[in-house]
This record gives sequence, structure tokens and C-alpha cells, in this order.
Amino acid sequence: MKLSVDYARYEDERLILLVVQLRPEALDQLYERYGRLVFGLALAIVGDRSTAEEITLDIFMRVWQKAASYRADKAKVSTWLTHIARHHAIDVLRRQAVRPDQSALSLDEITPDGAIQTQDPEKLAEHLLLRERVRSAISRLPAEQMQALMLAYFGGYTQSEIADILQQPLGTVKTRIRLAMQKLRELLSEEQESEDKSTRSVHTYSISEEN
Amino acid sequence: MPDESHVLDLLPAFALGSLEADEALQVEDHLLSCWICRRESGDFRTIAVQLSLAVPPVDPPPELKERLMRSIQGSRAPQPVPAQASGRSWLERLLPVWGLASLALILLLGVFSLALWQRVNLLEIATSSGGMRAVPLNATDEIPNATGFVLVGADGRNGALVVDGLPPLDEAHQYQLWLVRDDTRTSGAVFSTDEQNYGGTRIRASGSLLEYSAVSVTVEPTGGSPQPTGVVVLDGFLIIP
Repeated sequence: MKLSVDYARYEDERLILLVVQLRPEALDQLYERYGRLVFGLALAIVGDRSTAEEITLDIFMRVWQKAASYRADKAKVSTWLTHIARHHAIDVLRRQAVRPDQSALSLDEITPDGAIQTQDPEKLAEHLLLRERVRSAISRLPAEQMQALMLAYFGGYTQSEIADILQQPLGTVKTRIRLAMQKLRELLSEEQESEDKSTRSVHTYSISEEN
Repeated sequence: MPDESHVLDLLPAFALGSLEADEALQVEDHLLSCWICRRESGDFRTIAVQLSLAVPPVDPPPELKERLMRSIQGSRAPQPVPAQASGRSWLERLLPVWGLASLALILLLGVFSLALWQRVNLLEIATSSGGMRAVPLNATDEIPNATGFVLVGADGRNGALVVDGLPPLDEAHQYQLWLVRDDTRTSGAVFSTDEQNYGGTRIRASGSLLEYSAVSVTVEPTGGSPQPTGVVVLDGFLIIP
């Protein structure tokens, strides 16, 4: 009755269910898909490969032990993973109390290589497109806003800490972060609308061609 | 023009987790009662999540995966839990008259919901106006044609399982429904299917079904097992938003 199972063809949520059923192959597959993403995020935050490895291990152990707590109605699996990876990495930094003055992430490292591992071309394209849009939006922020944003998100610093690091008034830092996030929302929203229009026009063209 | 009591200016930093503790508490309190700020907060949280995509994925060392797979061995064995269906006498297993009546009603609703579910969307949770939920289950590779769903009453105290495509088992085996919560699996029912591969049963749970996050159906020795031992033939998230 036991069949050979190709876990690579399962959706993420299905793999989580299989992890709940204690199937190591499902965890293996999730690691194949998101191990690079989690490791890359941890490395960007802590700036140390050895620590990033331990964080990555902890995250996937947590998935193994707490898969039943995943709520598919709240977030995609990739969102869930990056959320807990970021928070865990920042917790590690705080526990170690040895944090770099700047985020470990260099903006120069935001390069277009790398992607999630998936056999679904549509999902891969969607992921790459979103990544490109996010990178493009960040690169269009004024340098001082980008710097404050990076320290907040990847460094896990509070606004007061960022003000100390940058030796700027707290009010200035608050304004930079607020403007950066508002600008990102505006840019990502514009690009989404533009993409939707483009998709609609292609779709309309296809329909008229068929007619 | 936003109300002065709104916390709109704090929401971007709140989404990033960079507010001071007292400011974060202020925002959390406000969000409990303000849908405008909740909506804005949701937008900024989406942006914050997307920031992680800016980071290039990096290959971890190959031995890390080996460490992971070694670490999970024995790290989470299913905890033994009493099987509620096993250990009861055959008389106790019989549903009382009122139970049969309510089960019949539930199964009728189930058939209706199943038809509706198949027509609308196989993956959507169907919700009746009375608050009853029909949660579809997924087949596994063991029996790919199996289908099923769990019906949960509005208050979570009553539920039923309806399955189709599960062949009748030999006398030594029955199907068993498991309710999953954290690391524990609690038996919810032990049941058989008929010659048409169809079956239905009421779910017995200690407490509310709303407390469980997932369910699965396995093949077990007749009478049920204290914990899952056989192959999984159906599973699904028991998500009650």
C-alpha cells in the first residue's frame, strides 16, 4: 500500500500538513525550497555564517515541532518562514548583545541572482517578479531613508537606537522611516497596478484575437 | 482627515518593529478598536514582509541539511493520548437516539455541503448561514481518489466526518480520525466504510473542535489505536478563522 511519493509536486501548505504527520521527506522538501531564503535572511541580519547556520537549523526544527501551529488563513508558508526567521535572527543578535553599527546587509548585495526552489514555473515567475519589484522600489528611496529602513528591518533596532547610531535627532529618524515605508507602499502599489493593466491588456488582446 | 487620536504616523515603524515599547503598546491598544488603522497597519505589515525578498538567497552548506535531518530523528515522537473510541464497550459506542438524529441531520447537511463544495471550489471552506463549517480534506498518495470533509458546528462542540472513496478494510482494520493540536493527536472517531467506499461518523472530542488545528485519517487496527500507527489516507487543516 505504500507508494513512492514525489514531494516536490506538493504545494507548500500540503507539505506543512505532511510535516504534521511526521514525514521527514516533507520537511526535506520545505528545506529545499526555502533553506536558501531563510539562510540568506539570517546571514543578512547577523552577518556571520556560523550563526546564520544555527538560526536556519532552529527555524526548520521549529517547523518540524510546531507545524500544527501554522495557520494557512493567516500567511503563506514563505511569509511565515521569513517572519519567524527574521525575529529569531534579531533575538539572537540581542542576546549576543554584539550588534554591528550598521545592518549586516549591504545594499550592494541586493543582486538579482537566486530564487526559491520550485518546480512550478508560474510560482517561480511570480516570486521573481515580486523580488524585482521590491528591490527596485528600495533602490529608489533616498539614501538616508534607505539607511534608516535597513537598520530598522534588518538590524532590529528601535528608532531611538537608530538615532544614536546615525547621530541624528529622533524626530528625523522617525520621519525618514515613515517616509520610506510610505514611499515603498506607493511604489509597490504603482507597479502592481501597472502590472495589472498590462495583464489586462494582454488578456483583452488574446480574447479579441480569438474572436 | 484622520482623527487626531489615530496612530497613523506610528504604523510604518510599528510594522517594522522599531517603535519603543510604550509606543508599540499604544498602537496595539488602538488597533483593537480602530478598523481604519488596522487596515493601514495591514498594508504596512505587507510591505515589511516583502522587504525580506530584497535579500539574495544564499546556499547554506550541504552538511546543514544533514544535521537538520539527523536532529529531527526522535525529536518529536507523537505523544500517547487516550483513544476515546477504543476502550469503550460496543454499547457505549452506539450513539444514543438523539445522537443518531443529529448525526443524520449533520450527514444530510454534509451531503448538501459536499455537493456545494464540489461545485464551488474544492479548496474553499464552506460556511452555512448558521455558522456550520465544512472543511475539505486532502487525499494522500495512499488512496489518491479519497475525498472527505469535516463538518464543525458553530460552537465547535459538535462535528461529523464524511468520507468517500475509502475502500472497506478487512476485519482487522478500521479507519481512525485524529485531531491534531500542537504535538498531540487525539482520536476523534473510529469508523468503517461501506461497499460503496462511503462512510460517515460523528466526531467525539474532549472540548471544542475549534481548539484543534488539523485532522488526519489513518488506517489502524480494529477498535482504534492510542496514537497513529498506520498510513495517512486523508488530512487537512481544521482552520476556523
